[in-house]
This record gives sequence, C-alpha cells and structure tokens, in this order.
Amino acid sequence: MTYSSSIAAKRNRYSAKNQNSVSFAVARPQTGPVSNTIILIVLACLLGLLYLTQVTKTNSYGYQINGLQSAQSKLQSQKEDLQVASARLQSLNRVQNSQVAKNMVAVTPSATVTQ
Amino acid sequence: MFDSNFRKQIVSNKRINATYLIILAIFVIFAIRLFYIQVIHYGSYKADAENYQLKQYEIPPVRGQINILNGETIVPLVLNQTLYTVYADPSYVKDASSASDKIASLIGKTSSDVNSLLTKKNTRYVVLAKKVSENVSKQILGLKIPGIGAIAQTYRIYPQGSLASQVLGFVNDDGQGEYGIEQALNSKLTGIPGKIKAVTDINGIPLAASTSNTQTSPINGSSINLSLDLGMQSQMEQIIASEYTKTKSQGISAIIMDPNTGQIKAMANYPTYDPGNYQNVSDLNLFQNASVTNAIEPGSSIKVLTTAAALNLGVVKPDTTYADPAKWIIDKTSITNIESDGGARQQSVSSILSLSLNTGAVWLLMQMGGGQITDRSITNWHDYLVGHYNFGKPTNIEQGYESDGLIPKENFSDPSIDLTYANTTFGQGLLVTDLQMASAVSSIVNGGKYYQPSLVNSFIGPDGKQVKTKPKIINKNVVSPTVSKQMLPLMENVVNTYYHEGYNFMNFSPDYIVGGKTGTAQIADIVKGGYKPNIFNGTYVGFVGGDKPQYVIAVFNIEPNVPGYAGALGGQPVFADLAHMLINEGHVQPKTK
Repeated sequence: MTYSSSIAAKRNRYSAKNQNSVSFAVARPQTGPVSNTIILIVLACLLGLLYLTQVTKTNSYGYQINGLQSAQSKLQSQKEDLQVASARLQSLNRVQNSQVAKNMVAVTPSATVTQ
Repeated sequence: MFDSNFRKQIVSNKRINATYLIILAIFVIFAIRLFYIQVIHYGSYKADAENYQLKQYEIPPVRGQINILNGETIVPLVLNQTLYTVYADPSYVKDASSASDKIASLIGKTSSDVNSLLTKKNTRYVVLAKKVSENVSKQILGLKIPGIGAIAQTYRIYPQGSLASQVLGFVNDDGQGEYGIEQALNSKLTGIPGKIKAVTDINGIPLAASTSNTQTSPINGSSINLSLDLGMQSQMEQIIASEYTKTKSQGISAIIMDPNTGQIKAMANYPTYDPGNYQNVSDLNLFQNASVTNAIEPGSSIKVLTTAAALNLGVVKPDTTYADPAKWIIDKTSITNIESDGGARQQSVSSILSLSLNTGAVWLLMQMGGGQITDRSITNWHDYLVGHYNFGKPTNIEQGYESDGLIPKENFSDPSIDLTYANTTFGQGLLVTDLQMASAVSSIVNGGKYYQPSLVNSFIGPDGKQVKTKPKIINKNVVSPTVSKQMLPLMENVVNTYYHEGYNFMNFSPDYIVGGKTGTAQIADIVKGGYKPNIFNGTYVGFVGGDKPQYVIAVFNIEPNVPGYAGALGGQPVFADLAHMLINEGHVQPKTK
C-alpha cells in the first residue's frame, strides 16, 4: 500500500462511517422548451375560455333584456287596449244609447235654479 | 452501399427543408396579408365590421294623450293603440283562392274582395286590412300563408267619437299632427325619440357585452288636459247640429268662453267629421276649426265693441241721447237702418244696441273724432279694433291655421276711407273670427282685461307631473272697469227687448244676468263685387252669469235660411239654447241675494 492509497483508504473509511456529513444535490426534473410551450398554450386556452364564458354570459343578458323589453311592450300594448276599452265603455255615445238612458224620460225644466 | 444511403439521406433532408421553407413561406404570406388587413387597412375593415354588426334604431316616443274635463274628472278624448296593418305581396301568394277564403272572415271582408287584392298584378304590396287587433293579426300570421304579413302601427283612438273633432285635429300616417291642437302642439305631444346603437347578433338583438353600445331613452310626449267641459261640449254639439238642420244653414260655429280666465269651455262647428276615419272625408273644409279659421264680417254684434270704445274714450255716456237722422251720406253712399226702426228721431246709446242702429254706430264714430268722421276718429277706432280688441292678428290659441282676420288699413289717401270705417262700426268691411269676437267681448264684460284665449287647462309631463296653465293677460286696460260695468245693463237690455218683442226663448230667470247682441251681416260677393243679395250671416255675442258674467257665448251661423233677420233667428236661438243649458245644468252661479 502506497502512502497515497493509504490516505485514500482512510477517506473511504470516513466516508463509509459518516454518510450524512456531505450532501449531494439531487437532480430536479426540469421542463424543456416543448413542455413550456404546451403549458403556455393550455394557459392561454384557459384564459380564452374564461373570457368566452364571461362574454357569453354577459351577452345572454342581452337576450334577457330583449325578452323583458318584449314582455314590457306586450304589457304596454295590453294596457293601451284596456284603456281604450274602458274609455269606450264610459263614452257619452254608449251611455246615451244604453238601455238605462233609453228608459229615461226627457223633462223640460219648469223653472231655473234659484238660491 | 454506404454511398447510396448517404445520398438518399441528403436528398430526404433537402425535401424536408424545402417543405419547411414552403410552409414558412406560406406563413410569411399569411403574416404579411394579416399585417396588411389588420394594421394597414385596420380602419376600413373595422368600419365594415361595425356597419355589419352595429345597428342603430330610433325608439319612438309615445305621443301624449288628450283629455277633456268632466267637472274635475279627467276623461280621455284621444288615446293611443297599437293595431296592425295586414298586407300581402301577391307575387308570393300561390293559392289566392284558398288564402282569400281563410283570411276574409278574419278581417271582415268578402272572399272575392280579398281575392281581387291577392291576384293584383304589377304590384308587390297590397293592404288587405288596417287597424286589425293583435289577436286577429296573430291568427292570420298563424295560417302561415306565404306572402302575407302584418306590421304594427300606433293609431290615435277617439273613444268619444267625433266629439270636439275639429278642435282636436288628427295625426296623419307619418305621425304628424294635422289641424287643431294636434298640429298646434305637435312637438309637445310628440316628445323626443330615443336612440339605440348596439352590436347585435344575426337577429338584430343587442349583445350586452359590447362596449360600443349606446342607448338614449325616448322622452314621451306630454299629455294635455283640455279646458273644454265634456257636458258643455257635448250639449253644444247637439244644439248646433239641431239649429243647423232647423235653419238649413251652411254651417254653425259656437264658443263658450270663461271671460275671467280666457279658457274655452266649449268650441264646436257643424258640420263636423269623425277623426277616427279622417281618410274618408272628401271635403277638406271639414277639417278646419271654423271658429278660429273662418273670418267673416260679423255685422251688428260688433256694435257692443263700438259702444264700449266710445264710452271708454269718454265721448258718450250710457244715458246720452242724440238726434238720429235715420240716414247718413258718407262718400256719396247712404247708410241706413232697418225699416222697422222708423225715421229720424231722438235716440240713445242704449237704443243703438237694442234697436241695432247703424246710423247710431256711425254717430259713435263721429263722436270719437269730435262730431265728424275725421282722421282722429278713424285713428281712435282703429286703435280700439287692433290695439284693444286684438283684431287683425291671431289670438295664438293652440289651434292650427288660425286666421288673422282683417282690419282695413288707415290709408287716409283712400277717398272712401270714411265710408270704410263707418261700415266697420256696424260690422261690415272687416273680418273677424268667432274666437276673436268671443275674446274681445270677454274683455268688455270682465272688467277690461283681454285674456289670451286658451284650450289647455294643464299639461301632464312624461314624468307624470301636472302643470296647470295660468291665465295670461294680454291687455289689462281694454276698457275701464266702470265702462265694463256700464256695458252689462246695455247688453241685458238687448235681451229683454227681444223677449218683449215676442222672442220667448230669450226669457231668463231674474236670478241670472244675461246680455247679448245680434248681428245680421251682408256677405261679400267675391266674384261680382259688392254684397250678395238676400243672403246673410247670423251672429250673436253675449254673456250669462250671476253676480258677474261667468260665460261669454259667441255664435256664427253661416247663411241660415230663416224667415227674418239672420242674427235674430239664426244666431240668437243658438245663444239662447246654450245660455239655458248653462243655467239649467248648474254651470252658472246665480246672483247672491
């Protein structure tokens, strides 16, 4: 055994005895350029999907508003029809031609009102 | 062997590279093209896209409705209703006979009528029915006949029929008010349209997500509460229709006005029309509210104004007497009275009205100039006609096509100016409307204030707030309050005189004050010149009240066919009927005792 080999043998001995005294870096898995690109594309797609979901949701309010406006318009139209029907039923012509009015007797005033 | 493989690999690499190059070249071309479209021509393409996607609509405002008052209650007179016009494009209708059978009963027409419309050639649009209800429209569209469609349209609806039609006017197919109040207050009734600008889908429905969307809401038109009273208006229309038939006249106009506010309580003309079917009217004159558009020579009813002017100038007093010559010669023309007034004799200011003396009216003009017809008398009288009574200019009532009337100019170089102005004192040679007469007489009997005549009681804004119109005084010193008071018994005396002469319908309870003046006016012959023989207009102005005049009534009866004076038998009965109606229906407060 040469001198140098004896020293080496000693080191090996220490090494075997105290394994935790030296730490070795563990090789971590790293993403390559292809993986990065795919991840970016997926993220972009997710963002796009999120945007589309929100826009579609907002646009659906447009249809709801349109539906409500149609309903409002219909109700307004019904209100108009009812107002007209009510006014016609109360019109002077109708009252004059009613059976109650026909049964009335015309009276010439015998005197004017005095206080 | 090795050499051969090596060559093959080199060739293969070259092909791959070439493919790459081609693909790269294609991408480069795409990139250049996209750069060209999206960067260089960005504006143009953006505009094209917006044109396609952005839609701009006008949101029509709701036209205001018109109401009438029944006491304090508001009664709708003009409403809006959405109805449908059913149309067809005959070129698309394949089986016209079958389609006619299905549609005819729904729109109230015969199958042959509909068939003739559906088989019309050289046209792409025929109207099958107008003013169809939504239900009927849906039933027709439900038949799914190719070429048949329906379009919604807002119509004006008149639940009271033809009541006050000439005051109202109508709305044409373009949505514009024509005649009457619809024309005069068109902008107020119409409102302001709204606008919507939005990115839409293929069906034109706005997409809410777009930041380019803008929307301005429409401002609906104001509604109007007329000053007209439903009961008075309805009664007046019946009365003038009846008198029109009785007197076989060419037309009657009448007004009931509140002299203390200028508000019109009733205004009507006969004949009239149904505004709901204005398209069927062939005589366009029927659209006119003759009370404000038809200016005529009023005849002797103007003597009320002549007398008031002379009293206010202080040149005569109510009890002044004078020697009436029964005839004046002015500019070589004689002015006389009616035969029953007798010859020359002593007359009074009161008898100028009760006997309707033309010579008396001319005498009043003379007193305005110091005893003769002079420039001063003409200027004084002209000042009253135009400056005090507001003749010769519109009253600015809320009506379309109001007439100015006509007052002769003070042209002193005219050799017949004296005669012209002498004639005006008894209502010839000048033109006034029924409304101008009512307004002027109101100012005489209400204490001397000329109120702006108005048909509007209040406006109801789009926010629902009601704004009452305030009476507006145009001239607060037409005559003095003293002269105004003096005029009342003078006019009452005219009514009493007629009653005692046998006009029994002029009998009124002593609990009320009723005064007036008749007018029988000659009618100018526009073709031959001069006046028409044996044809006259009958007019009447008067008031009815208790402690003070509460209503002024003005009547124009055009060419009545009556066995006597047109004023006494054509105008006066209408006044009497209206005055009795006001009293008997409790519209007039009697005198306090």
